[in-house]
Amino acid sequence: MKRRSAIKNLLIIAGGIAILPSCSQESGKASIQLNNLDINQNQEDLLAEITETIIPKTDSPGAKALNLHLFVLKMVDDCHDKDDQKSFINGLSELDKLSKKQFSKSFNEASQAQRTQLLQLLESDKETNDDMYRFYAITKRRTIQGFLNSKYVMKDLKRYELIPGRYDGYASANEITKSAS
Amino acid sequence: MSNLNIDSIKERTFDAIVIGSGISGGWAAKELTEKGLKTLVLERGRDVKHVVDYPTTNMYPYEFEHRGEVPLATQEAAPIVNRCYAFREDAMHFFVKDNEHPYIQKKPFDWIRGYQVGGKSLLWARQTQRWSDYDFEGPARDGFAVDWPIRYKDIAPWYSYVEKFAGISGNKDRLNELPDGDFLPGYPLNAVEDYFKGVLKTKYPNRHVISARCAHLSKPNPIHIEQGRVQCQNRVLCQRGCPFGGYFSSNSSTLPWAEKTGNLTLRPFSVAHSIIYDEQKGKAIGVKIIDTNTKEEIDYFARIIFVNAAALNTNLILLNSKSNRFPNGLGNDAGVLGKYVAFHNYSARISAEYDGLKEFKTTGRNPAGGGYIPRFRNVLKQETDFLRGYAAGFSAHRGFDNDVSKVGESLKNGLLNPVLGPWRVGSHMMAETLPKEESYVSLADNEKDAWGIPLLNISIDYDDNDAKMKADYIEQLTEMFTVAGFKNIQANTAGQAPGLDIHEMGGARMGNDPKTSILNKWNQLHHCSNVFVTDGACMTSTSTQNPSLTYMAFAARSVDYAINEMKKNNL
Repeated sequence: MKRRSAIKNLLIIAGGIAILPSCSQESGKASIQLNNLDINQNQEDLLAEITETIIPKTDSPGAKALNLHLFVLKMVDDCHDKDDQKSFINGLSELDKLSKKQFSKSFNEASQAQRTQLLQLLESDKETNDDMYRFYAITKRRTIQGFLNSKYVMKDLKRYELIPGRYDGYASANEITKSAS
Repeated sequence: MSNLNIDSIKERTFDAIVIGSGISGGWAAKELTEKGLKTLVLERGRDVKHVVDYPTTNMYPYEFEHRGEVPLATQEAAPIVNRCYAFREDAMHFFVKDNEHPYIQKKPFDWIRGYQVGGKSLLWARQTQRWSDYDFEGPARDGFAVDWPIRYKDIAPWYSYVEKFAGISGNKDRLNELPDGDFLPGYPLNAVEDYFKGVLKTKYPNRHVISARCAHLSKPNPIHIEQGRVQCQNRVLCQRGCPFGGYFSSNSSTLPWAEKTGNLTLRPFSVAHSIIYDEQKGKAIGVKIIDTNTKEEIDYFARIIFVNAAALNTNLILLNSKSNRFPNGLGNDAGVLGKYVAFHNYSARISAEYDGLKEFKTTGRNPAGGGYIPRFRNVLKQETDFLRGYAAGFSAHRGFDNDVSKVGESLKNGLLNPVLGPWRVGSHMMAETLPKEESYVSLADNEKDAWGIPLLNISIDYDDNDAKMKADYIEQLTEMFTVAGFKNIQANTAGQAPGLDIHEMGGARMGNDPKTSILNKWNQLHHCSNVFVTDGACMTSTSTQNPSLTYMAFAARSVDYAINEMKKNNL
């Protein structure tokens, strides 16, 4: 048991799944193992703040607390093609540059209001095939996916039933159940 | 090798051998062992024990590394199986990956396979509709393939027999084109499915929406409890393997049952190379296998042999069973072995929205998947410019509409307090295709697999009849949806290669005439009486119904016949 809990401590829990931490002890590297993306600690921190701006901490946990930025990285690393990955890396720094241009501050130095304002600006042009917009569209989609599929939402908030044990084809639409069939 | 050692031969001799442990092989094994025959079941893949070998069965979606998505590298390495709807992170370990078992596509064909104990019975969609005489009489009436050597009355008692044991849920719908069975209670339709059923009843008297019949234990009987299975818990995570035994699979039902008799020997990692034919005795005496791990060639012997390797692999084994008597494959005097292969055309679907009945939603999950529309074209007589017809799935669901246009707290609030969207409805076509001589499988001339067995050539395609039928499906369903007041109707005719329906059938068809068919009315080779084929390879035509239930009934019926023949010393 000791060995098992030791291994558990080594894993990073992102929204419920365990991700292997980076083998590299080198400082300045991303905290999880990535096969295709080359991400440093600064970029990871930037991504964390972007996801936190998308889904902030309120009276419930936000993206950072759920490690959704690591989930985004994991998905982009394993489930997106090279083009997406390239846009993702470029777009991430483009966004930071835009922040500097708009507010004379990096994204992470900007206020929460400024951060939100910046992302809202991107909302309108999400379909544009520019690296920054593509980065934003991927990040937002994956952040939302990670959130809705997190242990917090699925299990703690009871939004997902593993064993429904029933089917009602005429349930009242007003009945308060949070789970979608 | 110790093939000459008498003790060793004894150890390798059984009363019966079953090649394949999937849905039909499992049934053959159950019936044979129950009747007291020492039975060897050969499975080319690994063992999958009920419950203990279902590694993902109790996982929450967030426990999957990629939330169910198959990583891109895996997808790109296996583009064929990746097109299968069930090839997802939770069940991909039960599917054959493209590069593991190559085959030759003379024409595009997505061959979806599950090489393990239980085969695809772990993964199937569990739809179980009976055939009627409108189906069995099809080839004779419409002049294609050959006449089926049986009629509904021949198989009806065997449908009942397998339904009672497997556990089939459904309603007594009293439709001649889709006979009722021995059912457990049916799963109900939901508000919009019922509504559509009502619309059809008024406007199209011969078109029906029924609750799809499925192999789930809606209310188990003692026979199911005795199998160690309990009531289906509406998880609808079936493709992972079910810890409740809520749906029927070889793993949850027939194989453990066979094992309990003490007469079953299961040998995984055993790919059948060929059936051994004895020229003097004039019959088959056993099966040559190759141990997939050691690559050792081993012969097993038995009085009777059931070939249940799944349709196309059964063809491959028979074609590869060459002897002086049968230079073109076992029992292939007619020269039709491997030919007249057909499938189900699943290449059209249609979806829409419905604004009404907003006072309702669904909760829980429906294992039956919703409604089923039995074939309504050309049932009583020929009435269109295409032959035969199609059945259709029909289902409605109501999910949440998440507003994802915002950022920050308002987005989060929206996600945590979602609002119900409109009802969405969908249908998919399940069309009969016509078996043709030019739709065939054959052995590759030179290419062999890792065990020295020839690769399979597959050459199967759609034809004009399929195209006309598909157009009719879209036209009719669009009209029916319009009449029902559904909006935003969208047809999807993007198409898919044959095979992705996973209903490939034929190649060793049944028939009355040994000159034009391979099997007789008992699924017995016309020219090698102790070999039986009761999987998809036996099918003379395809009709529209999901075929597995019919394979189960054929297997049980055929074993019963074989045992009687053995008692009479005819085998």
